[in-house]
Amino acid sequence: MRRVMPVLLLSVVISFLAIACDRGPSAKSGGVASIKVVIADYSKDNTRPFWQALSAAYTKQTGVKVDLQVIDWNSIDQQVTTMIQNNQPPDVLNLNSFSSYAKDGLLNSSEDVLSAKTRDDFLAAFARGGEYQGKLYGFPILSSARAFFYNKSLFAKAKIAAPPKTWDEFVKTAQKITALGKGTIGYALPLGPEEAQAEWSIWMWNNGGDWKSGDQWAINSEKNLQTLKFLADLANTHKVTQVNPGKTNRTDGAFQLFKDGKVGMVMGFSPLAKQLDAEGKVDYGVTEMPTNAGAAVTLGVEDYLMAFKKKGNQEAVTKFLDLYYQPENITRWITAEGFLPVTKSGLDQMRSNAKLKPYLDALPNARLVPTTDPAWDKVKLDVQQNIGLAVQPGGNPKQVLDQLQKNATTAGGR
Amino acid sequence: MSGARRALGRAGLSGAGALLALAFLAPYLVMLFTAAKPEVELRVTPPRLTPLVWHWTNFAAVLRDGEFQTWLRVSLVVALASMALVVVAAVPAAYYTARHRFRGRTAFLFLVLVTQMFSPTSLVVGLHREFFELDLINTYTALILTNAAFNLAFAIWILRAFFASIPREIEEAAAVDGCGRLRVLVRIVLPLSRPGLVTAAIFAFIAAWNEYIVALTLMTDPDKKPLTVGVTSYVTAYVQHWNSLFAASIIAIVPVVVLFILIERYLVGGLTAGSVK
Amino acid sequence: MPGPRRTRRATDWQALLWLGPSLLLIGGVVLYPAARLVQASLSQYSVTGLYQGWVGLRNYARLLRQEALVTVAMNTVVWVAVIVVVTVLISLALAQLLDRRFPGRRLVRWALIVPWAASLIVTSKLFVWIYDYYFGILNPVLQSLGVLAQPVDWLGDDSTVMGAMIAVGVFVSLPFTSYVLLAGLQTIPADVYEAARVDGASAWRTYRSVTLPLLRPALLVAAVLNIIYVFNSFPIVWTLNDRNPGFGHDTMITYMYKIAFKSSLRDVGLAAALGVVNVALILVAVIVYLRTVRWREAEA
Repeated sequence: MRRVMPVLLLSVVISFLAIACDRGPSAKSGGVASIKVVIADYSKDNTRPFWQALSAAYTKQTGVKVDLQVIDWNSIDQQVTTMIQNNQPPDVLNLNSFSSYAKDGLLNSSEDVLSAKTRDDFLAAFARGGEYQGKLYGFPILSSARAFFYNKSLFAKAKIAAPPKTWDEFVKTAQKITALGKGTIGYALPLGPEEAQAEWSIWMWNNGGDWKSGDQWAINSEKNLQTLKFLADLANTHKVTQVNPGKTNRTDGAFQLFKDGKVGMVMGFSPLAKQLDAEGKVDYGVTEMPTNAGAAVTLGVEDYLMAFKKKGNQEAVTKFLDLYYQPENITRWITAEGFLPVTKSGLDQMRSNAKLKPYLDALPNARLVPTTDPAWDKVKLDVQQNIGLAVQPGGNPKQVLDQLQKNATTAGGR
Repeated sequence: MSGARRALGRAGLSGAGALLALAFLAPYLVMLFTAAKPEVELRVTPPRLTPLVWHWTNFAAVLRDGEFQTWLRVSLVVALASMALVVVAAVPAAYYTARHRFRGRTAFLFLVLVTQMFSPTSLVVGLHREFFELDLINTYTALILTNAAFNLAFAIWILRAFFASIPREIEEAAAVDGCGRLRVLVRIVLPLSRPGLVTAAIFAFIAAWNEYIVALTLMTDPDKKPLTVGVTSYVTAYVQHWNSLFAASIIAIVPVVVLFILIERYLVGGLTAGSVK
Repeated sequence: MPGPRRTRRATDWQALLWLGPSLLLIGGVVLYPAARLVQASLSQYSVTGLYQGWVGLRNYARLLRQEALVTVAMNTVVWVAVIVVVTVLISLALAQLLDRRFPGRRLVRWALIVPWAASLIVTSKLFVWIYDYYFGILNPVLQSLGVLAQPVDWLGDDSTVMGAMIAVGVFVSLPFTSYVLLAGLQTIPADVYEAARVDGASAWRTYRSVTLPLLRPALLVAAVLNIIYVFNSFPIVWTLNDRNPGFGHDTMITYMYKIAFKSSLRDVGLAAALGVVNVALILVAVIVYLRTVRWREAEA
C-alpha cells in the first residue's frame, strides 16, 4: 500500500489541479471577441508558424483573439463535419472544396468579407474556380500546377534522348526504363484513394476527354474509356508501372519512389521539386505532359479559404482575410510551402524565382477540376475510392466509369 | 538424474522464452533501428535492418522539440488523472456490488458491460457536441472524464471479483470493533486488494495513454494534444520523417514499460480473483 | 439475509451513493453520446453535416441496401473470429510457459508488455513500414530465409491484406490475453496437479481434464473482452488498409467511419445507423457466447 498510495494521491491532486486550472474558451464562437480559424496542415515546419504569427499580428491590430487550429489532411474532413454537425462551424476555413458548403447556404460571399482590392487581385482562372451561382464563395488561398518530372540519370542510362511528347513515345520510353531492371520503374502511376482524381484528370484531358460535356457529366465518354484502358494497359500489359498502381498514393507512394531514384517519370508539382532540391539525390528535369491530342494540358489545383456565416463576425473576418491577402504575407507563406500564387501581385513577386518558371508559365492555362459544381465533392470522393479498381489485374474500366457516371448524375439531385 | 533433467527442461524453457521475447520485441527493434537512421538512409534498396550511420541524435532532437514536450506533458497529466478518477469511481461501486444485494444490482453490472460495447469511434461526434455545450472542448477535463468512463467497466469487473473473494469474517471483525463501512473499506479491504487496485489502475493508465480517436476529435489546440495525436504529425501526406516518428514513439513507450515493470508482480495477482491471502 | 423492509430501502439509497460516481461517468460520457447517436441515426444530414430533419427508419433501410455491406460484414466476422481464436490458442500456450519458473522468465514477461505499451496507431504505422513492398524489411527477410521467391505487396495485394492485418491484430492482443490466462492458471492450486499425477494422468490428459476446465472463468473474460475490443478496433484496419480503394477490406467500424467522413456517401445519418447496428451486433454476439458457455457449464 505504501508505494501505491502516494502515486494515487499524487494523481488525484494532479487531476484536481488540471481541472481547476483549466478553463474552456471563455467566449463561445460567434461573438467578435474571438474567431475560430481552421487551417489544413501542409507541413510541420511552415504551416503552423506562419499562421500563428499572422494570428498574433491580427490580434495586435484588432484586439480580436484567434482560436487557430491546424489540422492534418487525414482528419480535417472528420473534424469539419463534426463541427458543422454540432452547429459550431469555424469562422474561417481552409479546405480543398467549398461548393457543398455554399450550396447549403453556410458561407459569406466575397461581397461580404473581402475588400475590393483583394477581390480584383485574384487570377481569373482561380477566381472562376471558386464561384457558385455567380458569386465568389471559395477564395483562392494557394495553387499548384502539375508538371511532368523525369529522371535524367535513368534517361541517360536507357539512352533516351528527350522526354516523350506523345503517348506512343511515352510507352516506349517507359518500357526502355523498366528494361534497365533491378526494380526500376518506368512510370509511377498513383491511382490510390489519396488524390486519384488529379492523376486521372491529367490523362483524361490529354486525350481530349473531360469531366463534363457542357453542363452534363461525361465521365464515361468514349475518349475517357480509351484513356482508362490505356492506363490499365500500362499496369497490366506493358507492366511499366510500380506494383498495384490502383493502390498507390502520390505522396507516400509515387513521389517517394521518384525521390529515391527508382522511377523514370512521374507527374509532380512544385513542392516535390522543392524536396528533390533539398535532398539533392536525383538529377531531374521538368517538362510538359505527353499528350495524345494536340497541345499538352496540365492540372491546376487551388485550395480555398471560406468564411462561414456567423452572427456578427463579418467585420472581424474581413480584417483577417485582408491581412492574409497582403502581398508580403500571402507570398511569404506560399513560397515557404513551395506552392504557386493565386493573385496577380503574387505572380509578379514570384516571377523572379527561376525554379518556378515552368509552373508559372503553365499556370494561366492550367485547367481546373469542376469544383464549382456542388456534386463535385461527392464525385471526387467517388473517383478517389473507385478508379483504382479499374487498373487492377482483372479490373473492368468500362464498369468503373459507368458506375462513376451513374453516381455523378444522381449526386446532383441530393 | 531428475535434477539434471529438470535443469535441461529449464534450459529448454529459457530457450523458448528467449525466442518468444525476441518475437515480441522484433518489430520494436525495427522501430528502434529506424529511429536511429539519418534521413537519407530511410529508404534504400535493398532495405537494411540497421543503419550504416547511427544517428542517436534523433532521440535528442525529439526530446528537445518543444511540441513533443507539450504532448508528453499532456499525456502524463491525462493518463494519471484518468487513472485516479477510475479508481475513485470504481472502488466504491465494485465494493458495494460485491458485498450487498440491492435492487438493480444485476442491471448495474449489465449496464457496465454494455457500455464497454460502444466503440468510441461511433460516440465521438456525440462527445464533441456534449463537451462543446459544457464549454469543455480542448480541456484536460473532457479527455480525463472520457478516458475514465471508458475504462470503468474493466476496473469494476476486476475489483468486484477481488473484493468478493475477501472473507467476510475479516470485515465483520472490524465492524464489531466499531469501524464504519467506509473505514472498513479503506483500512481493511483496500490493503488486502492491492494487486487488484494496482491492476485496475495500470490498465486505466495504459488505456488513457494510448487513446487516439477521442483525443484527435476533442483536442485540436496544439498545446493540448497528447502523444498519440501529436506523433502522427511526423508522417503526413507531404513529409515523412519516419525516423522522428519512431524516435518519438519509443520515447512514448518507455514510461509505460517502466511503470509496468514496477508493478508487474502485482499484475498477475491482480487478475487473480480467488487467491487473496 | 434480507432484513426488514426499512433496511432494504436504506440499502438501495446507499447503493446510489456508492455507485454514484460510476453512474455519473457512464451516464455522462457513454449514455448521452449514445443517445445522440441513436438520434442521429433517425435523422438526415447534408453532405456538409447540416441537420436536415427527422426521417425515421429510412437510414436503416438504406443501410441494408448498401452493396458493400455484405462484404464488410463478412470481413468483420473473419476479422473477429480468427483473431480471437488464434489469440486465445496462442495465449494458452504462452500462459503455460510463463507459469513455469525458469531463468529469464521475468525478461520474457517484460518483453510481452511492449506491444501492449505501444499505442495501436504507432504499432499500425510500424507495420505499414515493415510491410512496405519496396522499402519494408519483411520481404527481404522472408526472401533470404527462402520462404518467398518474389516480394509480396502485403498491403496492396487483395489476397494478403486481410491476413496481414489479422497478424497485427493477433500480435497486439496476445499480451493482454496471456496475462489474463496466466492469472487464471495461478489460481489453480498445486495439489490438483499433484492429484492428477498420482492418478497417473499424462500431461495432455491433465491439461484437458483438469487445467482447461479450471481455466474457464479466465477464458471467459479473455474471450468476451477480446470479442468486444477486436470488433471495435479502428486504428489497425484504418492505417493498414489506407491505400486500398473501395470497401473490400473494411470492417464494420472503418466502414462506418468512411460512410461518415471519407467516402462519396458522406452521410452522417447513415453512419450513425451503422453505429447503432454495430452495438446491437456486438451485444448479440456476447449474449450468444455467454449463453453457449453457461449452457455447457450447466450440462457438465
